[in-house]
Amino acid sequence: MVKRLQYRRLLMLALLLGVAFAGLGYRLVDLQILRHADLQSQARENTRRTFQFEPRRGDILDAKGNLLATSIFVKTVCADPILIGNHQAEVAHAIAPLLQLKEAELAQRLMPRTRQDDKGEIRTNRYVVLKRKVSAETWQKIQETMAQLSFAAEENITSKKEKAFYNDLRAKAIYPDSTDDQLRTYPNLSLAAHVLGFVGMTERTNRGARFLETVGVDGIERTLNSKLSGVRGWRQTEVDRQRRELVYLREQNIEPHDGLNAVLTIDSGLQHILESALADAMQKESPNSISGMIVRPRTGEILAMAVFPNFDPNSPGDNADARRNRIISDMNEPGSTFKIVVVSGALNDQIVKLTDQFDCEHGRFHYAGRSLHDHAAYGVLSTEGIISKSSNIGAAKIGIKMGEPRLYQYIRDFGFGAKTGIPLPGEIGGWVHPVKEWSKVSIAQLPMGQGLTATSLQMAMAMSAIANKGMLMQPMLVDRLQDQDGNVVVKYAPVQARKVVSEDVSRQMIEALKTVATTDGTAPKAAMEHYTVAGKTGTAQKVEKGHYINRFYASFVGFFPADNAEICIYVSLDDPKSNFHQGGQVAAPVFKQIAEKAANYLNIRPDRGVETGLQDVLVTNGGEKTPKAVVSRVP
Amino acid sequence: MARNRKNQSAAIRFGPALKAFLLCAAIVICCVGYIWQKQQISELSQQNLKREARLVELREQNDKLKKQLAMLLSPAYLDRRVKELKLGLMQPQPTQIWRLPEPVVEQSAPERTQQYAADHSRDGATP
Repeated sequence: MVKRLQYRRLLMLALLLGVAFAGLGYRLVDLQILRHADLQSQARENTRRTFQFEPRRGDILDAKGNLLATSIFVKTVCADPILIGNHQAEVAHAIAPLLQLKEAELAQRLMPRTRQDDKGEIRTNRYVVLKRKVSAETWQKIQETMAQLSFAAEENITSKKEKAFYNDLRAKAIYPDSTDDQLRTYPNLSLAAHVLGFVGMTERTNRGARFLETVGVDGIERTLNSKLSGVRGWRQTEVDRQRRELVYLREQNIEPHDGLNAVLTIDSGLQHILESALADAMQKESPNSISGMIVRPRTGEILAMAVFPNFDPNSPGDNADARRNRIISDMNEPGSTFKIVVVSGALNDQIVKLTDQFDCEHGRFHYAGRSLHDHAAYGVLSTEGIISKSSNIGAAKIGIKMGEPRLYQYIRDFGFGAKTGIPLPGEIGGWVHPVKEWSKVSIAQLPMGQGLTATSLQMAMAMSAIANKGMLMQPMLVDRLQDQDGNVVVKYAPVQARKVVSEDVSRQMIEALKTVATTDGTAPKAAMEHYTVAGKTGTAQKVEKGHYINRFYASFVGFFPADNAEICIYVSLDDPKSNFHQGGQVAAPVFKQIAEKAANYLNIRPDRGVETGLQDVLVTNGGEKTPKAVVSRVP
Repeated sequence: MARNRKNQSAAIRFGPALKAFLLCAAIVICCVGYIWQKQQISELSQQNLKREARLVELREQNDKLKKQLAMLLSPAYLDRRVKELKLGLMQPQPTQIWRLPEPVVEQSAPERTQQYAADHSRDGATP
């Protein structure tokens, strides 16, 4: 009897165990097979994390390695409204001053909001961006403030759950975005603003994650954006319950590749000299705008480029007018500076000589039904005199003698009517009509810089070609790209565009241009004490609604030392408001101011009026020096 | 006839006990070693994390200092400081610069100071 009872109990137990194991088995199959995919993805979501690493945007340096633009890492401050509970007001009161936000607005943003996800489930937003581009110091202050935050309701709590809530609120409710952001800064403020440009933000998606990316909007920042940006890195890893990373479970760890540093040809010292002089002129002459640039004729390197009104790239603002680089994106009739093209072309084709005489008709010349004027009643002038006095009639007669096809060819050869290829966005090529579209009077108008439009850059490069033995160079703004350790990745060499005129013709032109900055020429105010200046003035009438108006572009473009040009300087004022409007009166003094300081800064050897030291010292192998002359004066 | 188990000596029974003990000890050592190793990995991971964070912090600090240095070296700032401090600094005028031209080195044949054992060049013989 007892044995049967025992068997029955055993059977029951076995049955129960069998059912229990069957239940467990079913659960196992359910978890491991039927819901495997769902649960696996859930488990991964709980533990797996992918962090994106922002590459550091490359710096922009000047020719001497001075920093012109750099990036510093900053935080994006976010909030988790669930962890804040109903303490929005207290949190907002504590951190609003640090974030420089309005308290009420911030409290509103800390309120939890629900939304329906793709599966139709209600979800509460746990990621609210409070402020972007918050400095590391400010973030530290926010952390400290949050850690010290106390709540009135906290004093009476006893349960562990509530304590944990307040601890989480202090530690995790306000947090930085895992992807670092960066702030582009320009330590020299508005210096070279039109060259550097500025950056903006754009939203991009990567592996389903949306993030804001810094992109160049204007200037070199835009042109070299792909080189400066670098390549994003990422890390795939796992975290524990406290969201701490389990380093040994890292699966992928790809370091970001920082952007390359761009070394420009711009020299911040020269840039400052140029900008100071232009700012003075802006104050004195009150033009609509003033532009200037310094070029090294031998290489085409742009050493400085400035436009006023300007802007601070740290906060570019809404004034698009101030942000426009007028040197490359504004075109106007060049005026008398353009005479260098027709005269050098005629000299190159041996149509005229510097000594050839032209009747300048005492200031009034009728041609093709139009009347051309000079600013003074000149009689007979030599070719050199036409340049030094800037005679429109003389230049027109040379143009007529030259003929339309040749004149057009030289205009194009000097780079007018085409973009120069400067690595800046927004460059225009100007207008040069083909010969078939010329009117009868065009051949007389073009030589004096009317009937075509050009940019200031084109004019400066054309003058540089004459200074550079007739070789037109492509403007150069970027010297090299280097990595963060200073290793050169790309080195840009000067590019010769074409030989425009012969070396001999360029020498003759320089002789003619030297006369401009003398008392006989149109720009005695451009003359320097210790250097011979070769240059040309320009005073172009502005055009409004197809008619010439009584407003002017005054310009001066020149180089020095004339026979061995180190730098070429271009200055242009749009509608100067003082008593004078001629290039020789308003632009030439600015040229002189820039040139004297630049010569000093670059330590350019004077070519006149300065005593030099020991000349022609002969050093023999024995080391004895034999001076041939003690002191000589450079003629 | 086999001996009764009760009559077996204590010394003979100690062997399996020792073996069992050693086996258990080996298992325990392995387990402890495994846990210690895991602990070390975890500790080193945390150290690694801290060092990475420190590296980032130092880089950020470096960037900030670089920016500060650039601001202090900017021509506009230096100009302003020179004026503020009334240092009276200015660039020299061309007349104040004394220029020394590069000396011209006279090229001459180097003198021979060493005597070679077989100097064919003197008697014109070729080697």
